[in-house]
Amino acid sequence: MLLELNNVTRIIKSGGKKITLLDNINLTVEEGEFISLMGPSGSGKSTLLNCIGMLDNFTEGNYQFLDELVEQMKEKQRAKLYKEYIGFVFQAYHLIDELTVYENIETPLLYKNIKSSERKALVGDILDRFNIVGKKDLFPTQLSGGQQQLVGIARALIGKPKLILADEPTGNLNSKQSEEIMELFSSLNKEGVTIIQATHSESNASYGSRVVNLLDGSIVTE
Amino acid sequence: MILNYIKIAFRSLYKNKGYSFLNIFGLAIGITCASFIFLWVEDEMSFNTDFANQENIYYVPTNQNYEGEWRTFYSTPGPLAQDMKSDVPGIKKATRSSLEERLFAVGDNTINRSGRFADEDFLDIFSLKFIEGSRAEAFLNPEAIILTQETAEELFGKNVKALGQVLKMSNKDNYLVTGVIENLPKNISFPFDWVAPFERYRDGAEWMTEYGNNFSDTFVELSPEANFEAVDKQVRNLIATKEENTSDYAFLHAMKDWRLRSKFEGGKVVGGRITYVRLFAIIAFIILIIACINFMNLSTARSEKRANEVGVRKAMGSSRKRLITQFISESLMLAFIAAVCSVLLVAILLPQFNLIIEKNLSLGLTNPVHIFALSAITIICGLFAGLYPAFYLSSFKPVEVLKGIKATQGSALFIRKGLVVGQFVISIVFIIATILVYQQIQHVKNRELGYDKDQLLSMRIDRDFIPKFDLIQQELKRTGSVHNATMCNSEILNGGNNGSGFQWKGGTDTEDILLSFRNITQSFFETTGMKIIEGRGFGNNVDADSTHTLVSQSLAKMMVSENESAIGKIITRGDDVALEVIGVVEDYVYGDVYASSGDPVLFLHYPQYARYMFIKTKDGVPVDKALSDIEGVLKKHNPAYPFEYTFVDDAFNTRFKNEQLVGELAQLFAILAILISCLGLFGLAAYTAEQRSKEIGVRKVLGASVTTIVKLLSKDFLKLVGIAIVIAIPIAWWGMNNWLQDYAYRIEINWWVFIIAGVAAILIALATVSFQAIRAAIANPVDSLKTE
Repeated sequence: MLLELNNVTRIIKSGGKKITLLDNINLTVEEGEFISLMGPSGSGKSTLLNCIGMLDNFTEGNYQFLDELVEQMKEKQRAKLYKEYIGFVFQAYHLIDELTVYENIETPLLYKNIKSSERKALVGDILDRFNIVGKKDLFPTQLSGGQQQLVGIARALIGKPKLILADEPTGNLNSKQSEEIMELFSSLNKEGVTIIQATHSESNASYGSRVVNLLDGSIVTE
Repeated sequence: MILNYIKIAFRSLYKNKGYSFLNIFGLAIGITCASFIFLWVEDEMSFNTDFANQENIYYVPTNQNYEGEWRTFYSTPGPLAQDMKSDVPGIKKATRSSLEERLFAVGDNTINRSGRFADEDFLDIFSLKFIEGSRAEAFLNPEAIILTQETAEELFGKNVKALGQVLKMSNKDNYLVTGVIENLPKNISFPFDWVAPFERYRDGAEWMTEYGNNFSDTFVELSPEANFEAVDKQVRNLIATKEENTSDYAFLHAMKDWRLRSKFEGGKVVGGRITYVRLFAIIAFIILIIACINFMNLSTARSEKRANEVGVRKAMGSSRKRLITQFISESLMLAFIAAVCSVLLVAILLPQFNLIIEKNLSLGLTNPVHIFALSAITIICGLFAGLYPAFYLSSFKPVEVLKGIKATQGSALFIRKGLVVGQFVISIVFIIATILVYQQIQHVKNRELGYDKDQLLSMRIDRDFIPKFDLIQQELKRTGSVHNATMCNSEILNGGNNGSGFQWKGGTDTEDILLSFRNITQSFFETTGMKIIEGRGFGNNVDADSTHTLVSQSLAKMMVSENESAIGKIITRGDDVALEVIGVVEDYVYGDVYASSGDPVLFLHYPQYARYMFIKTKDGVPVDKALSDIEGVLKKHNPAYPFEYTFVDDAFNTRFKNEQLVGELAQLFAILAILISCLGLFGLAAYTAEQRSKEIGVRKVLGASVTTIVKLLSKDFLKLVGIAIVIAIPIAWWGMNNWLQDYAYRIEINWWVFIIAGVAAILIALATVSFQAIRAAIANPVDSLKTE
């Protein structure tokens, strides 16, 4: 078991009113799964992903990641945990515009204090694997959306995470680019990487091993 | 990691060229400005610090009481130095000394140089370093003279041994050069070009050996182990034990205070130039602060653009600490670039600055103190300017900024507005100060002096000139260029030559009034344009006038009641002086040009004491012609002397040096403060316009005109400037009112000055902001709306 959510809830206050973003969710994710979170806008897909990724917190319930209770951890430990095990892929890619492809991919390694020679080798490998060696000195703005997302995924993978969280990874891409990205996810999953993606698209969801449907913050079907 | 930061910082700088320029340029101006001020302060602080015994050297001024008020004079009785040395334990060396300008001649080569007649101890107190001759043999004979290297070279030529040569002083006395000393450091309060034994000064006149006549500068050196308080106490008591019926006392004034703390009031040091040194140092810091404020402002304003980067980095695993480090290293780098620019700017502008302050400052980049100070300024600016943005930016929550929700703006916005207000407060205060300092200087320059300073030449003369004066005056007039000429014992602008103990009204209450003596020739009032308002001037016969005097109006008022005339009254001093008042002269301004009026004056017809000649040229005669005519006459009758003169109006203008310096620097700083503030405002306006581009687009689609949008965008900024005006006016009023209190003759602060400053600030701000506002307002709304 990679992670387990027990009755997790997220409630925020907005303008004096309580808004329930996530309502009593129970979910267990095993290693090697490829889960697609589906549901209309505002159903809580992104919130759930962010909370699983520890960028945000559940307000109630238990979150166990690799047998550790996340809500009991201090900020630092949590950061260490997600730095180690989780990679993020964003809809808007969120590459740093001032850095080249190479440097963008390298950034997580810097935060892990990995030695320069090792960094070189790791980044080199992944550039090879993604067939973007030729693009390594370009800046994000010089790439197409699909290529940017490729870099985004490469960056998410560079730290060898156990879990990749992808929030609408193809939301800004055309269908051909989308297909390529999903193929890539699928092959990564076969290599043993656990993936949770939030998506609107049935066809994207079909790449996954399991679909979780959300509505108004609750899981409606699995 | 650091490399990564630097790389990012550089690319981000390059990508946002405009913003980087505003930031770096603003900070560079700030550092440049501060560097100038600190160089000036350093120079002021370096005065009188190049002497081996500087810790133990003291000047001895005297406090004298006139009309119930203690006044401090830079003069002491002749015997004081010797008595201090023999009577006061702890005083190791003491010297009398008098600063004199003398004519020196070697063959045909003549120059005027000022130097000092002094006792032998003088050489030790100031640790004079002999290049030729030696300390031991320098003052063995009364005809000895010691020259500075520069003076020796001018008289005898370069690479010529001056030692043992003879020169002629004042066209009559021979002196033997017994030593050549190294040139003195430039920054010294009592400079001199030569030193000669005191014995020959005024041929050792009797009055110089008595108490009661103050004329000498006294310098002393204390033993290193002496207790200052104990010595000073004894010095203060000394004159009373030597002279009867006097309240005068001497005291010690330390060498380190000569330059900066030499303003006395009520017999005590009350400051001096140190006020300006402190003021400017504070201004330097203020300017640095406004430059840093810009930096903070622009950085936080740009935070939204960077928020995304913060979010990504946090999601990639960066800790807050690392982000803070990153942002601070960025701002340090900017500060470093700014510092390099400012070094270049200082190097380029230093000659101009030197002209303004009349100094010869140098960049001194090899001086470790300068390097250290520059590094310290750079690092502090970098940290100070980067700290707030760093903490602010790093506090963003990744989820929020990645989702595209705006970072919470409340506190940042408030601080940003506060900072803009702060900058404009400072700018407005500077504007007001500039106007008022300028007004005050003009006010004094244009004041009614009681004489006509224009076309009036002043020339120092020696005693052998005096018998020739009548002839020279005739010939000068005959040239057609000269209106008239006269002689006096004092420069017209200067104080000094005074005394007390005079009686009128039968001898009560008048002895402690200090009167100035002006020994003049008959033509004095006519030449200088002073007005005799009652009675008559002196006649042709000097002997007949020996018991006559003219008094200044203020003295006449003291002598008689309102409706009475002072003419015919007798002024006495002891049993030997009795002067009949034959005329009353309108008060004139001399000594302190800012004072409401100088001491009362006694004019006496004693041309034999003259030290200066004044020549009034005729209206309409070109200066060149007048000067060459005068030179012709003087060369003919007084060939031994070089033709050296000053114009009285020039000399008058130099009295405003300090104030002029303050005025010019205040102006400079006002311009820079405004420039830096405007850079910041420009950046902020650009940012606001950009941030509100969607709103502007929507408004335009809904039918808003360009004007309404410009108004909308400018209004907020003008409100800030308005607040700044309200805060700045009382501060400026208070500060300038304080400054003006130092001047008895001063302007009233007019309310319109504040209006001008306020309107100027508003116009400048409006010009800065409206550029951006107009640009935003005329943009095509389709462009701004389609991005959403």
